[in-house]
Amino acid sequence: MPYLLALLLSLSLFSGATFADAPASCDNNTDCIEVGRWDLGIALGYGQKSNPLKDFEDIPLYVVPTIAYYGESWFFDNGNLGYTLAEGENYTVNLITTFSNDSAFFHRWDPSNIFLLNTGNSQAAIAPMASSLSRLTPDERTIGELENRNFTYLGGAEAFIYTRFGIVHASLAHDILDVHGGLESKLKWFYNIPLDKWNFEFAAVLDWKSEEVVDYYYGIRPSESLYWNQVYQAESALNKSLEFTGQYVLTENWNLLFVARYTDIGDAIAESPLLDKDYTTTYFVSAAYRF
Amino acid sequence: MAQNTLEELEPNFKLSPEICITSADAKACDIEVTLQWDSVTNKTICIISDYKDLKKWCGSSPDIHSLTVNISANRDIQFVMIDKDTHETIAGVKLKITPASPPQVRRRYRNPWSLF
Repeated sequence: MPYLLALLLSLSLFSGATFADAPASCDNNTDCIEVGRWDLGIALGYGQKSNPLKDFEDIPLYVVPTIAYYGESWFFDNGNLGYTLAEGENYTVNLITTFSNDSAFFHRWDPSNIFLLNTGNSQAAIAPMASSLSRLTPDERTIGELENRNFTYLGGAEAFIYTRFGIVHASLAHDILDVHGGLESKLKWFYNIPLDKWNFEFAAVLDWKSEEVVDYYYGIRPSESLYWNQVYQAESALNKSLEFTGQYVLTENWNLLFVARYTDIGDAIAESPLLDKDYTTTYFVSAAYRF
Repeated sequence: MAQNTLEELEPNFKLSPEICITSADAKACDIEVTLQWDSVTNKTICIISDYKDLKKWCGSSPDIHSLTVNISANRDIQFVMIDKDTHETIAGVKLKITPASPPQVRRRYRNPWSLF
């Protein structure tokens, strides 16, 4: 897998650099947390996550919670459960569970959409394509009512390399609930710029999904359309994202929060007849309170 | 006889409590401490210290065997018991001021506001 080779090569290139130790006090830092204490917060504002699925509505964002607890080795961070196997000044290796973000496009109450309230139309994120197509003359290209695309947990390992040029995060995780039996891998570089009361984080992400993942979420089942089931053949795909997170410290507890994300959806996914866009965007502007 | 001599050489001079832990917020330690000594010395006692409000205190008779002091300090305080008449140093005790341990922190691996 050339992508994994590139991932390993990237890690080896960055492994010689240095990174400062965690500070003694976390205050408003986002890269530091007090051991043995729940970190709770809530962000109230407005934003939107675009849905690349045809006939599915975008997902409005109003309320986003943050919940985390870090022990000596175990940690829980916004739905991710992890165990730190090894940590040094320049690196961290964790065992992790995480969840797939693909099911979020199909299910309103997917964890990726949790607390993201809808505006009026409760069917916004789950409107089946059949609802708009069933009135058309039956055609072999018509896609019927979609079967379930279920949420699943992934389990695997991740590594962080801390360098003076930013932080490299690589992960590899497999479906542990046997929903699709696929594999996902991520390579992320992010860089923090603290500037007085501001903190800016820029990130670039490569998100690889195996053929099983792509087929489960974006493939067409025979019951949905025999034609598309034959025509569209899922393959592994690589999504590419750019992210920006800006925070402005108002008080000890209140921050202003600005989040933007653009994802270029991999060709193998974008070619699915379920999609009518080859990208997805997210933005969120809010006031965030940390308890 | 030998035991009495030993007791006279090492009088029992006690401080209670011996340690004060400052809170994370308050930098100073506010506490009431009691100094006690036994009667075997049969001497009138003075207490001297490096605490600003108790440079020197002297008992009025050999029958006084304790002293209670309100302390507000951010560093250790040394109390020394001396003979009021001869100024001979008899014993010493120390009040330890210990700052509360800062909370243990570790790296957080996810941005708290990373949406997904």
